[in-house]
Amino acid sequence: MNFGRRAFIQAAGGAIGGILVSPLPWQLAADSAKWSQNWSWRPSPERGEITRAAGVCTMCEGGCAVQVRLVNGNRAISIEGNPANPLSEGGICPLGASGLQFLYAPYRIAQPMKQTGRRGDISGLKPISWEEALGELGKKLGRMRAEGKSRELAGIISNSASSMSDLWLQFFTSYGSSNLFRMPSAADGLRLAAQLTTGKASPFAFGLGNAEYILSFGSNLFEGRGVASLVFAALRQWTREGKRSVKLVQVESRCSMTAARADRFVAVEPGTEAALAMGIAHVMVRRGCYDVDFVKDKVFGFEDWSDNTGKKRRGFKNLVSSAPYTPEEVAKVTGLEAAKIEELAEEFASRQKALAIWAIGQADNVNGAYHHLAFAALNALKGNLKPNGLVSLAPAVPLAGLPPVQKDPGADESAGPPGLDVVRSGSAPYRRYGFYEFLDDVREGSKCSVEMLLVHEANPLYSIPENKLFEQALEKVPTLVSFSSYMDETAAKADLILPDHTAFERYVDVVGIPCAPFSYYALGAPVMKPLLDTRHTGEVLLRLAGSIGAPVRASMPWKSYEEYLRFRVQGIAQSRKGAIADKPDVPIIKLSSAQSVQPNYSSGEELWKKLKSGCCWYDAPSPVAGFETASGKFELACRSIGAEGALGDDKLYLPHFAPAELSGSESEYPLLLVAYKPSYTTVGYLPTPSFMNKLIPDKVLQGGDILIELHPQTAAELKFAHGQRVFLKTTQGGAAVRVNISEAARPGVVYMPQGLGHWAYDLYVRGKGANANSLMEVHLDPVGLMGTLLPCRAQLRSEERGNL
Amino acid sequence: MSEGRHAQGGVRFGMVIDLDKCTGCGACSVACQAENNISFRPDESNKLRSITWMSIFELNNGGHYPDYKYAFLPRPCMHCDSPGHAPCTFVCPVNATTRDENNGIVTMVYPRCIGCRYCIVACPYHARSFNWWDPKWPEPMESMLSPEVSTRMRGVVEKCTFCHHRLLAVRSKAYKDGTDPDKATYTTACADACPAKAIVFGNLLDPQSEAARLSKDPNAFQILKKLNTKPKVYYISAHDWIRKLSDNAVA
Repeated sequence: MNFGRRAFIQAAGGAIGGILVSPLPWQLAADSAKWSQNWSWRPSPERGEITRAAGVCTMCEGGCAVQVRLVNGNRAISIEGNPANPLSEGGICPLGASGLQFLYAPYRIAQPMKQTGRRGDISGLKPISWEEALGELGKKLGRMRAEGKSRELAGIISNSASSMSDLWLQFFTSYGSSNLFRMPSAADGLRLAAQLTTGKASPFAFGLGNAEYILSFGSNLFEGRGVASLVFAALRQWTREGKRSVKLVQVESRCSMTAARADRFVAVEPGTEAALAMGIAHVMVRRGCYDVDFVKDKVFGFEDWSDNTGKKRRGFKNLVSSAPYTPEEVAKVTGLEAAKIEELAEEFASRQKALAIWAIGQADNVNGAYHHLAFAALNALKGNLKPNGLVSLAPAVPLAGLPPVQKDPGADESAGPPGLDVVRSGSAPYRRYGFYEFLDDVREGSKCSVEMLLVHEANPLYSIPENKLFEQALEKVPTLVSFSSYMDETAAKADLILPDHTAFERYVDVVGIPCAPFSYYALGAPVMKPLLDTRHTGEVLLRLAGSIGAPVRASMPWKSYEEYLRFRVQGIAQSRKGAIADKPDVPIIKLSSAQSVQPNYSSGEELWKKLKSGCCWYDAPSPVAGFETASGKFELACRSIGAEGALGDDKLYLPHFAPAELSGSESEYPLLLVAYKPSYTTVGYLPTPSFMNKLIPDKVLQGGDILIELHPQTAAELKFAHGQRVFLKTTQGGAAVRVNISEAARPGVVYMPQGLGHWAYDLYVRGKGANANSLMEVHLDPVGLMGTLLPCRAQLRSEERGNL
Repeated sequence: MSEGRHAQGGVRFGMVIDLDKCTGCGACSVACQAENNISFRPDESNKLRSITWMSIFELNNGGHYPDYKYAFLPRPCMHCDSPGHAPCTFVCPVNATTRDENNGIVTMVYPRCIGCRYCIVACPYHARSFNWWDPKWPEPMESMLSPEVSTRMRGVVEKCTFCHHRLLAVRSKAYKDGTDPDKATYTTACADACPAKAIVFGNLLDPQSEAARLSKDPNAFQILKKLNTKPKVYYISAHDWIRKLSDNAVA
C-alpha cells in the first residue's frame, strides 16, 4: 500500500478535525479549569437563613447598639450597627465590625487552665475542669479570709462602667479588701478635677452636640474607641445641614487625625497644652472678656481669698495675671507666637457657645490634676458650668443599688496587716486613682503584700504605660488568677485561668458613656451558645461568693448574672426616669438639662424586654445644680487639696502649669518621645484584630518593623533617611525602629504608635513592631496620685553607630 | 453600545463619599471585609499583596508642619461607566470581568479568571487585588464566612462588587412581592457601616435619590476624570487642595 504525502496530510487533517469536533478538548479544558482553580479545600460556608440578633458592643466604652448576623440562628457571621439606636444611627467602628474575630479567635482560652510548671511557661498550662478550678480558687479565698488575710486579695478590672464592675466592687468589699483597681484612663483626671472643683465625684461631661466652637486640648476625638459613638453622633449633628456648623480647634504637638480634620491646628510643644490654657485665661481676664456674673456669683477663688486659718491666699485672677502667664512668656513655653495666643483667646472669648474640651477620646492620662483644673477654669470663665451649660457632670444611671455589705470578723478593719489603701501617709487627699501607687507598693513589698491578684478584662502586663512596673509587682504576687477569654500577655503569666465568655455569648450592659452629658444604659443578651467551655465571670463570682462564707453570700444573693441584671434594671423602672429610645430620631446628642424626658415604658418587665431587644434607655442631662464644695461654689481655688493652711505655696490650690521633672539629661537624651494612639490599632484588653491589620499603613508597620515619625528637619540633623533602621532609647528602655520622615511630626519630637509589639496571642497579632508602653515613663500626680504619661526624653542613633 | 442602554435601563448604581465628613476610621473597609469574605494573612503590611476592596488612601496638601494637612480617601471600585467598556473589562481576555449594563456594576466571575492580571494593570485606581495564595482562615475562623458571597481561590483577581449580592437579594424579594425588580434599591456594607454617614449609595439616574443629588453638588468631583473612565464614585470636599488632587495619580 502506498501511503503518500497527500494521504498523510489528509489523515492528519481528518484527525485534527475529528478531535476538534469531538467534546474531548473542551472537556479537558473545563476539567483543567476545575482542577486548577476550584480547590476542594476552598471553604464553602454552610448555607441557611440569615437572621439578626440585637446586642450591645462592649469592645470599648462607647456602648453602640449592634446587630449580629447569624446563619441558621447559631453561626455568627458579622456585626452591623443598629439603625434604631439614636447614638450610632446604624454606624459602627472598625473594631466593632471586627468583633467576631475575637469570638472565633484561635488565641481564645478553651477551658480553665492551671499552671503546672514555672510561671509564664505556656506548655505548663494544663486544662482542668471547672469544678477543680472553682474548688481550688474558692478554697484558697476561704483560707485567706479565715487567716485574716482578706486585704491581701487584689484585683484589676477594666475601666468601662458596667454592672460587672459594680459586682466586682461588691465582691471585694464583702470579702474585706479595698484593693480593687480599674485600669487607668484619662477619665480619672476628669473625675478628679470635677471632684476638686464641684465637690461631686462624677467626671466632667461635654455638650458636644450643642457647642458652636470647640477648643480641644489634645483630645483625640477622631482616633476612635472610647467615646467614638459620642464623637460620631456629634460629627453627624455638626454636618446635618451639609456644611460643618462647628469650628473645631485642635491644640497638640502632632498633626494627629483629629488635628488634620479640625478647622484649625494649633501646634504647641508636647505637654504644654495647659500652659496655653493659662495664657488664654490671662488674656480673657486682662480684657475682661469672661462671664463676669457667673464668676462673681458662682466661682470661689477667682479673687484673693483667706483660708480657715485666716491666712490671705492668692486667687486665680492674681495668679493668671502674673508674669509666667503673659502671652510672651507662654509663647516661650509652648512655641506658639504671642500674637496667635492673643488671637486664639479673643476668638474663644468672643464666640458664643464656645467649649474647651480635654481628656476625651482615646487617650492616656497625659495631664496632672493642675492641668485638668486649668482646662476646667477656661470653661468656668466662659460660664459653661451654669445650668444648661455646655459642661456638666456625667449623670448617674438610676440602677438599683447593691445591698449593703455585711461586716464580719473576716472584714474587720483592725484584724491583720493594713490594707494598701491606708499604708501610705502621703499628702495626697484623693487616693482612689492610685493604680500606680498600688503597683509601687506591691513592687517594693515592704509595706504590704498581695497574696492573690485577680485580673478581669485587662491586660496590664502589656497595656499600661511603663508596663514593667506591673511585671515587677507580679514577681511579688504568689498567685495570679486571670479571667481572660484570650491568651494575652497577662493570662500567659497566670497561675490559674478561669476564662470568661466573649461579648456575644453572655449578658453584658453599658452604664453611661464617658464624657456624655446625657444618661445612657444599654443591655446585651447572649446571641448564641458559648463556643467553648467558658463561663461568665459574673456567674463565677456569684458562685465563689456562695462558697466563701455567709456574709459574702448574703451580699450577693442572686442566682445568676441575668437575675442580677434584672434586679438592677428594676431600679431604673422604679425611678420612673428617662425613656427607651426605639427610634433613631431621638435627638440624644442635643439634649440639655432644660428638657425633660417622659417615660415611655409602663413596667419593669417591659423595660427589660425592650432593653433586651436592642433599644437603649436614655435620660436628659442633669444640671450641675448646687456645688458641694466647702464654699458652695465652683472652686477655682480647690481648698480640699490641702487641709487648713497646709500648703505653703498659694499656687498649689489653683490651676497652673506644672511641668514635671523629666528623668535623664538633655545632653544624653536630646529628643522627646510621645506615644500616640492611632485609630487602626487597639491598645487595651483586646489586641488588634486581623481585619484591622489591613488598615495599618505601611508608614507605621513594615513586616515586623515599627516606624516612628520624625520631622524632616530633625531627620536631616541626625542624618537619617526615610525607612532607615535606628535605635530608640529612653531612660526606661529601648527598641529597634525605622524612621518615617513626616510633616505631621514636630521638630525634635519622636512619635511612636501604641498598640503594636505584642508577644502573646498568635501569629496574626504578635511580632509586629515594639510596645511603646515599655519605653514610656509615668509620673505620679501629687494631688490624685494618678499616673500621668508625659513626653519623655529620648535619643535616636543609627544602628551602625550604636550598640544594641 | 453601553451608552445607549443607560437610558433604557434607568439604573446606574453609584456612590458619593463626603471627604469632609470622613475621619479615616476604616469602618467601611472592615465592614467590607466581613461582608465579602475577604481573606487575611498574618502580615498585611505589604500593601501590594494585601487584599482590600475598600482601601483608605491618605491625601496631603504638601504643606510643612504646622501647616501640613491631610485627609482620607476611601477607594472602592469606581465601576467605570466609560462607553462600551471599563478599562478592566476591555482588556480581560476571558470575559471574567464584565459590566452589567442593566445597573452599571462591574462584576467578577472568579472561575473564569485565568489570573493574567491585565485588568490590574489597566485599572487606574488600583482597585483590584490578586490572590497570590490560597485563602486560609485560621481555625475556627471559617465559621465567620458569609454564605452570601463565594470565597475566592489562588490565582484569581478580586475587587469591590458594590455588594452585588445585596442587589440580587432585593431583586429576588421584589419578584416574590410582585413589585418591579428594576426599581429595587439597596445599600452597600460600607455605606451602612460608616459612622459619620459620609458614604451615600444609590441610583445615579434616579433624580429622587440622595446619591444623584449629591453627585451634582458643586463640590463633587471624580478622580482621574481626564482619563474619561467615567467613574460612578463621586467625592465631595469643600477644600480646594483636596479637589485639586483629584486629577493627579492619587489612587
